[in-house]
Amino acid sequence: MQPSNLHRLSQWPCQDILFCLTANQQGNRIWFGSSDAGVYQLDLNEEKPSRQKLQGEGHTSYVTSIANCGHSLVTGGYDRKLIWWDAESGNQIRRIQAHEKWIRRVIVTPDSKHVLSVADDMQCRLWDAATGQQVAEFTDHAEMTPHHYPSMLYAVAVSPEGSHFATGDKVGHVAIWDAQTLQKVAELETPVMYTWDPKQRRHSIGGIRSVAFSSDGRRLAVGGIGKIGNIDHLGGPARLEVFDWHSGERQLELEDTKWKGLIEQIVWGPDDQWILTTGGDHKGFTTFYDAKSGELVHQEQQPGHVHALWHDDAYESLFLASHKQLSHWSMREKEA
Amino acid sequence: MNASNNPSLSRRSWMRLAGTASAATLASDLSGLEALGSPELSQSLRHSGKRVILLWLAGGASQLETWDPKPGRATGGPFSKIQTSVPGIEISELLPKMSSRLKETAIIRSLNTKIADHGNAYQLMDTGRIAEPSLKFPHLGAMIAHELGQRDSQVPDYVSMYTSTEGRRQGTAGFLGGRYNPMFLTDQMMPANIKRLERISDVDHRDRAELRNLMASIFERKNTHPMYDAHNSAYERVRGLMASDHLFDIDREPQSTRNHYGPTQFGQQCLIARRLIEAGVPFVKVARAWWDSHGQNFETHQELCADLDHCMAALLDDLKSRGLLDSTLVITLGEFGRTPTINGSLGRDHFASAWSCTLSGCGIQGGTVFGKTDEDGQKVAEGEMNAGDLFATIFAALGIDHHKEYMVGSRPIPIADFDSEPCHDILV
Repeated sequence: MQPSNLHRLSQWPCQDILFCLTANQQGNRIWFGSSDAGVYQLDLNEEKPSRQKLQGEGHTSYVTSIANCGHSLVTGGYDRKLIWWDAESGNQIRRIQAHEKWIRRVIVTPDSKHVLSVADDMQCRLWDAATGQQVAEFTDHAEMTPHHYPSMLYAVAVSPEGSHFATGDKVGHVAIWDAQTLQKVAELETPVMYTWDPKQRRHSIGGIRSVAFSSDGRRLAVGGIGKIGNIDHLGGPARLEVFDWHSGERQLELEDTKWKGLIEQIVWGPDDQWILTTGGDHKGFTTFYDAKSGELVHQEQQPGHVHALWHDDAYESLFLASHKQLSHWSMREKEA
Repeated sequence: MNASNNPSLSRRSWMRLAGTASAATLASDLSGLEALGSPELSQSLRHSGKRVILLWLAGGASQLETWDPKPGRATGGPFSKIQTSVPGIEISELLPKMSSRLKETAIIRSLNTKIADHGNAYQLMDTGRIAEPSLKFPHLGAMIAHELGQRDSQVPDYVSMYTSTEGRRQGTAGFLGGRYNPMFLTDQMMPANIKRLERISDVDHRDRAELRNLMASIFERKNTHPMYDAHNSAYERVRGLMASDHLFDIDREPQSTRNHYGPTQFGQQCLIARRLIEAGVPFVKVARAWWDSHGQNFETHQELCADLDHCMAALLDDLKSRGLLDSTLVITLGEFGRTPTINGSLGRDHFASAWSCTLSGCGIQGGTVFGKTDEDGQKVAEGEMNAGDLFATIFAALGIDHHKEYMVGSRPIPIADFDSEPCHDILV
């Protein structure tokens, strides 16, 4: 699949902000979370697909993350709750108060046995995906920024073989964890991701918004935003750093000043040939970099800030959840 | 008592004085204002013991993330609302400490000030009226300093702390004259240029002052004019101002008090404000920048509201425990609010059509809410209030007649804008 083949198949404009999405293996049934606190399903097998709200007590604030555990889905939101849903029926299975502050990201381990959640209480919590029982919690992230304000824990990832986790926070600190012992095995610093303006505006912006392991699990890509001059806006370069996390060597340090903003999600391509980043400021982008050289391979501007991306195993089909839009993309070569 | 209500000394006196000082003179000459502040007027106009602390939320805080939350609406954002200590009043969850201290605070949710660019909105909300090119209106602090300041005070009348550079605008006394300009702190929390020069000893400094006083008294035996009083008064204040640097030194406070206000600069400045108020400074402005959250509004408000909530609660607690809250009006205000519509950067933009402020303490019926916005916060639904009405309310809370007029030449300028009325619903 060539990044340059990327083209849009369809789009579904809406009035709400879509923060997260996932899909079934076939990529014909997708679920997404919204600023209206709803979790929705869209069945692309229907002649005229229309979104259906999953049934249950649900969330009471923005639904910011969704993990697909196979038979069930787990959503997390700013209401601090994790909710399990039956993927087939769309019914709510359980609803738990999972964190003390906003839940930023929920992921599932490759064996689908565990779910991880990170939140602004600066905790990473490990959950039994089947029962919803908390298995463990761990953190290496300070509750307060160096400037005495509440910090935020935005990002979590699991390595493809499930042996390691990575967590990344607002001030640019990354911790890497052994998935068995839950001991921290490495840490990285990406301080450029955090902008503190001590004079003009006296508050901060930025933070690590995404982390992703390469397919061999040795490299870790960290996404966010570079230094911002005017922190009233997301007017900083989209910033990507890639590390050999064992040695701590920073192998790539990339900034895009053409299409600015936060990198909300990172995807490593097949055989780690390229890295796809997506995010934005008031508009959005999808940008492909060569994973070795860092060279810009392909780029598409998106009409709205992209909050999340889902792709199939073959990297043929992609869905983007954006500000007031859901869209479907393909990387297959266009038919003549 | 005020100029309008006491014709024997007000209108006639004002006109007489206005005749001796043209508008231009009044606007530029410090002594002209002191002439207006002659002893007979001073007695009638000063409202001893009342003070104001303005917490200026520069850049425009979001009413939806502070005092007028709309959870569950498309415009409401992600935060929930919480019940306050006053049944029926709910505010944003970002203000948990203030939620338990609302009995001293009135919320106004119905400001419609129309102007939504920083410069002009700032001018409007700092003077209470639309700017005119031909006349420099005094800012709120200058008017309060004029009304509440003591002529022979040994402390500044108006201190303004604004240590962030973005949007920094120095308040001006306008036609009230330089006597009421603020002592303006920008780069540090200790005023600059009020220390005695090292090459002049304290004894020398005192000797020089005594020599000047002696010569002045000889001069005044044969010459009388209000301007000479003003001249002497200015000199008398110098030593007081020079000696006021200790008021800015929070190291003199017990550690427990400093901890109460917290480690942030805003907290430290609020503590300084309390020290100044306690020492008799009538008006202190503490500006907390910069709320202009066009991008990442919710992250920004998590940071800034944490600061506002903690520091405002600490300040109200401290004032109350010292018996100062009944005589001190604490205001939270900015140049405007923020749009209900959430933009693509999860930001909110400038919005002046339906926004909020608060008044706490002196003269205020706490635990009240005035005005109402529609369910999405797009428009004022009840009790629309403009800048002039807000200023009239502030003056009324302090016992200052909002109908009072300043005379600039022959032109009367009401202290609160024409046709403005105080909001009696939130006044004691």
